[in-house]
Amino acid sequence: MEQRGRIVAENLVKVYNGQVRAVDGVSFEVNAGEVFGFLGPNGAGKTTTVSMLSAGLRPTSGRAVIDGLEVSQNPEEVKRRIGVIFQESTADGDLTGLENLEVAAGCYGISASEARSRARTLIEQMQLGDAADRYAKTYSGGMRRRLELAVGLVHRPRVIFLDEPTLGLDPQGRAGFWGFIQKLRKDIGMTVFVTTHYLDEADEMCDRIAIIDHGKIVATGSPNDLKDGLGGDVVTLKTHAGASEITTILQALPGVHAIQHSNDSYRAKVQSGETFVPLAVEAATRAGVGITGVTVKRPSLDEVFLEFTGREFREEEGPNATDRAVMMQRVRGQLQGRR
Amino acid sequence: MLREFVALTRREYLKLARNPQAIFTSLLLPLLYLLLFGNGFTINAASFVNPEYGPFFTLQEALDFLFRGAPNYYSYFAGGMVGFVAVTASLFLGANVIFDKLFGIFKRTRGTPAPSAAVFGSRLIAGATQPILLSFFVLALALLFGHIPGLHGLDVTATVTPFGLVEVLLAIVLLSGLFATLFLTFGILLDVPQTYFAAVNLINLPVLLTSDALYPWGTMPTWLQNVSQYNPVSLAVNVLREVMFGSSAYPYSPGIYLLGLLGWTVGLVSIAIVLVRRALRPLE
Ligand SMILES: Nc1ncnc2c1ncn2[C@@H]1O[C@H](COP(=O)(O)OP(=O)(O)O)[C@@H](O)[C@H]1O
Ligand SMILES: [Mg+2]
Repeated sequence: MEQRGRIVAENLVKVYNGQVRAVDGVSFEVNAGEVFGFLGPNGAGKTTTVSMLSAGLRPTSGRAVIDGLEVSQNPEEVKRRIGVIFQESTADGDLTGLENLEVAAGCYGISASEARSRARTLIEQMQLGDAADRYAKTYSGGMRRRLELAVGLVHRPRVIFLDEPTLGLDPQGRAGFWGFIQKLRKDIGMTVFVTTHYLDEADEMCDRIAIIDHGKIVATGSPNDLKDGLGGDVVTLKTHAGASEITTILQALPGVHAIQHSNDSYRAKVQSGETFVPLAVEAATRAGVGITGVTVKRPSLDEVFLEFTGREFREEEGPNATDRAVMMQRVRGQLQGRR
Repeated sequence: MLREFVALTRREYLKLARNPQAIFTSLLLPLLYLLLFGNGFTINAASFVNPEYGPFFTLQEALDFLFRGAPNYYSYFAGGMVGFVAVTASLFLGANVIFDKLFGIFKRTRGTPAPSAAVFGSRLIAGATQPILLSFFVLALALLFGHIPGLHGLDVTATVTPFGLVEVLLAIVLLSGLFATLFLTFGILLDVPQTYFAAVNLINLPVLLTSDALYPWGTMPTWLQNVSQYNPVSLAVNVLREVMFGSSAYPYSPGIYLLGLLGWTVGLVSIAIVLVRRALRPLE
């Protein structure tokens, strides 16, 4: 098989300080020219995986092969062939956009005159021409991300890694940034490995995605295949408390694939939501179970995530997820104490 | 290797040029020291001279003992200040690495295949310029003060040859290079500002206080004199003072002190190369 521009991960494991199993046996292959999305909530192990693939971090075990090169054996050569856009900003605020690019080019051994002309071209391509001679510390968030992208491309890599490149950008900025990526892919045929925790982004922009949770890949495929794999629509019914018999009632209806429930909400995967809802409401009413709400969803990656992890994606999002959970426990404890 | 080094060195100089406050404050401190400290603290060597009973029978004897041949405390002190400045101004080299780490800038450099020698060398060469220039600034200022009525200043009493000037230059370059290497290595090995500054203080004060940069030589206890003669700051300052005030109070010629200083520098740079290469190798 043609190795140019390919990324192969075989059973990658990273254990931090002998205890935090951040990445737990991750395997996948990315073909040349593909946009591959690595989707997962905060703390899932995305950045750790990118670091191991991009010769920044030695895996505890497993191996990574990029462009036909084993990463741990040729870290320097791998660095020459890949571009990395880190999650955090790495531009030097005291240098202008152009100077940032020129220094980066120099670090790849590119001559000063060549560096200057590449920097100029890239900065125009990223639509930063007007700000080329401004200090990077004066750039807006979106401009900074574009500068980071330009810096990552200055040595014309075959493979580019983007770690949450659109984090913190407004929808317009995100769309603009993706415009550049799609264009690069079309013009140069570069392989793009991108991590994100925006489901819509992964859905729209990626040829294939892998969903990672707690350091393990739970699903891989094209967004459409993954959604189709759920087999139809998802109907969520909310009921009054303590109506567990409804599971059996719903299961008996035609076109139902599976029922899951948490608290008082029941998720039914069905062939078609439109035909299922009237039947379900009628059956429930006949059995004396009060329905308090119904939603029908065409499956999205949210449902895919829920399907493979048993959890809502949003619950996990944000650094405050744990704080919120702790607070909820306290509130619940107080309410119970009062009763 | 050369292109990487040139690009990174250019970056360092650009950063330096764009931070005029840092340059200004680094000039201000030695200026204050020279004006206030050196002028406020004086010892009159003549008061120790008594041609009949001693302790010193001639003024030269007193000056040799107290100030190692310098004509007054201020002149002695000015030579020491050069050493002091070479050490304290080198501290920024490591601090800059620490801040570049905090701002993610260092991560970018490490993501590129730029060799560790270029990363280290560019920062060392560009960074050491500051303490070297500052040392000469202090020397020039002290000389200038000597011509301003009412101020103490540096009085050069020996005839300074071009060879002597080269020795002074070498002493300043070696001393600045030594401490620039030391603090830069700290900056590369450590990640947190608190740890860095704790480490710097742990080195800085003992080194300066066990040197003869600031104390009058004759007032130091014998044990301190013994320790001090191996201190790299003392070695550099000895070269300066011997060239400026003559050799009467020194057992060795400036060349010997320079050799000692070179020994320190070579030793430390060798250790630094091993540590920095290990810290900057890919795939930590
Ligand atoms: N240097 C580190 N030392 C210890 N634990 C770490 C380190 N970096 C990340 N982790 C932990 O590893 C897990 C995965 O982190 P990361 O790869 O950054 O996730 P993501 O990028 O998906 O948010 C998290 O639990 C995180 O706390
Ligand atoms: Mg991350």
